[in-house]
Amino acid sequence: MISRRPLAARATLRLAAVMALAVTLLSLGAMALQYRLVEARLMQAQRALLSADLDGFAALYDQRRIIALRQAIDYRAAAATGGEMLLLLDRNGTVLAGTRGGWPEGLQAEGDSFAVEPARAFSEAGTRWLAVARDLPGGFPLLVARSLQPVDDTLAAMRRGMLALLAAMLVAGGVVGWLAARSVMGRIGRLNDLADRVAEGALDARLPGPRSPDEFGLLETHVHGMLDRIQNLNRATHRLSDTIAHELRTPLNRMLLKLSRIEGQEDLAADLRAEMRQAIRMFDSLLDISRAEADQGSGGGLVPVDLSAVAGEVWELYEPLAEDKGLDAQALIAPGLRVLGDRNLIAQLLSNLLDNAIKYCAKGDLLTLTVAEAGDSILMRVADTGPGLPADMRGAAFERFVRADRDRGIKGHGLGLALVRAIAARHGARLTLPEGNTGFTLEILWPRLQQSD
Amino acid sequence: MDERILIVEDDAETAAAVRAVVEGMGCSVDHCDTLDAGIAAATSTPYKVIVLDRMLPGGDGVEAMARIRAGGSTALILILSALGRAANRVEGLEKGADDYLPKPFEPDELRARVRALLRRGTMQVLDNDLLVFGDLEIRLKARTVHVKRTHVAVSPKEFELITYFARNAGQVVTRMQLLENVWNLHFDPGTNVVDVHVGRLRRKLEEAGSLAIQTARGEGYVFAPLPGSPG
Repeated sequence: MISRRPLAARATLRLAAVMALAVTLLSLGAMALQYRLVEARLMQAQRALLSADLDGFAALYDQRRIIALRQAIDYRAAAATGGEMLLLLDRNGTVLAGTRGGWPEGLQAEGDSFAVEPARAFSEAGTRWLAVARDLPGGFPLLVARSLQPVDDTLAAMRRGMLALLAAMLVAGGVVGWLAARSVMGRIGRLNDLADRVAEGALDARLPGPRSPDEFGLLETHVHGMLDRIQNLNRATHRLSDTIAHELRTPLNRMLLKLSRIEGQEDLAADLRAEMRQAIRMFDSLLDISRAEADQGSGGGLVPVDLSAVAGEVWELYEPLAEDKGLDAQALIAPGLRVLGDRNLIAQLLSNLLDNAIKYCAKGDLLTLTVAEAGDSILMRVADTGPGLPADMRGAAFERFVRADRDRGIKGHGLGLALVRAIAARHGARLTLPEGNTGFTLEILWPRLQQSD
Repeated sequence: MDERILIVEDDAETAAAVRAVVEGMGCSVDHCDTLDAGIAAATSTPYKVIVLDRMLPGGDGVEAMARIRAGGSTALILILSALGRAANRVEGLEKGADDYLPKPFEPDELRARVRALLRRGTMQVLDNDLLVFGDLEIRLKARTVHVKRTHVAVSPKEFELITYFARNAGQVVTRMQLLENVWNLHFDPGTNVVDVHVGRLRRKLEEAGSLAIQTARGEGYVFAPLPGSPG
């Protein structure tokens, strides 16, 4: 079975991360917009306060010029809370009135009116100020500024809040995403597990429990419907092959019985009998191939089998045949190698391979049967130094009824290798034709059954 | 041989052929053409052998064997069926059949199989060890074969082969019977693989002076060692 767990966990994690990231990005965008709006609003308020101050100073200046302005600034400076900066100098740069002793470095006076624009932001000792610096007529520099500290404090608090909120959203998004993804992946995982079981041959596997009334439930219902249909077709195929066997063998049986009553033409009767037997054998092979293919991947009916012992028995059966034909035959069979299998089918497979090898080889050829441990598998190799497969047949050697033209004179129907392949597949064994060898070599890798199994 | 044999077979022609074979062996025959009638007959009359079809009106003969056994029948069961593939045979034998002959069958082979069943357990065993057929002796414990007191070197498989022949002495033994009983293989390899083994055994016996194994017309072999056989 294919383990999908780590895969599913990775997919869940990925989906959760994407969802969390999406939520976070959206929130980040919304917060950035909100931040800009608040910042603009706060700056606007500071600007309004500054504008009000300037309007007041302008009114006093209109009445009594610098004197009134100086008095007003003195008065304001005495009550200053630190949130404002006021300064009036004379033409020599001497402080006439203000909250500080000198003109801030780097700040240029612009214009000579009391308009709030242009205003400049500047920093001093870690505090930002929004300042209006003017050079009043007669050479009196005036500075009116408001601290941007409350704005900065508010924005900093807001940033801290936003950061905390973002972190919380990232975590919440991750958790919610994980839960949602886990639920989705769980539903998909159930279907994947079902598909695995079906692929292994359990056509009757179904998902337990009630169907949910959503798309997943609908998908499960569809999959179940599909499996029911496949199972019915499979059953019908099995029934059909049994029925065909019955319906065709019965008339053949009658023919054979009638043949036994014919007297005086024994040779003809024997020929007919032989032909009928050939037809039945071919028919049996076809049914065996179909059955083995239908059961492919299904563990049902397979039991622990000592592959070494079966190979030894079949070898013992065929060795005299090889010897009689003058072949040099050898078997290298490691003992005690077990597989989950059907003894009779394995014997049939090996019998087909050895029979083929002996049939096509000539006197002096070497025939070798090897059964050896190969890691988690068991390697079975039947190799001969006979004529081998014609190059153009390699791809089709395992198809039914495929025979090389040169072999038309040799008895057979071209079903032997097709049956070998079907039986190997029934056992989950991998079959290969290694290239580069002289003669014919066929290798089968059987899944090994461990002693503890 | 006055044994009672039951034939459960729905095809009239096959049933007639089976009847002809077993009546020819001197047995008395009953015939049923449905499964239920067959089970009723099998459980009410002591038959020696039941020749049972599969795919009968009423069900599968193989599935019915348990009911026949449960009904108290001790008859030996020969399944005679169109389901003749290796898997079918193994299934039938595993579910309790004593023998399994696929259709189409040769009357000779059916005769051989029924005889083998009728003679099952009747082999003459002297001293629980020694089987003697004229000049030919088979020692079961020592697993040795002797012809006219001379040891014949046989391989383990050849010993099993001659033992199976001896158990069915005088009867036609088919190649398929040999494959099934000596090699425990339930498929027809379609080659002369059995002939080669029997040929080797036969040569060894002949070299020692015994013509015990004869080729039977058509289907197989007969183990017929005669007292004072030539050689």
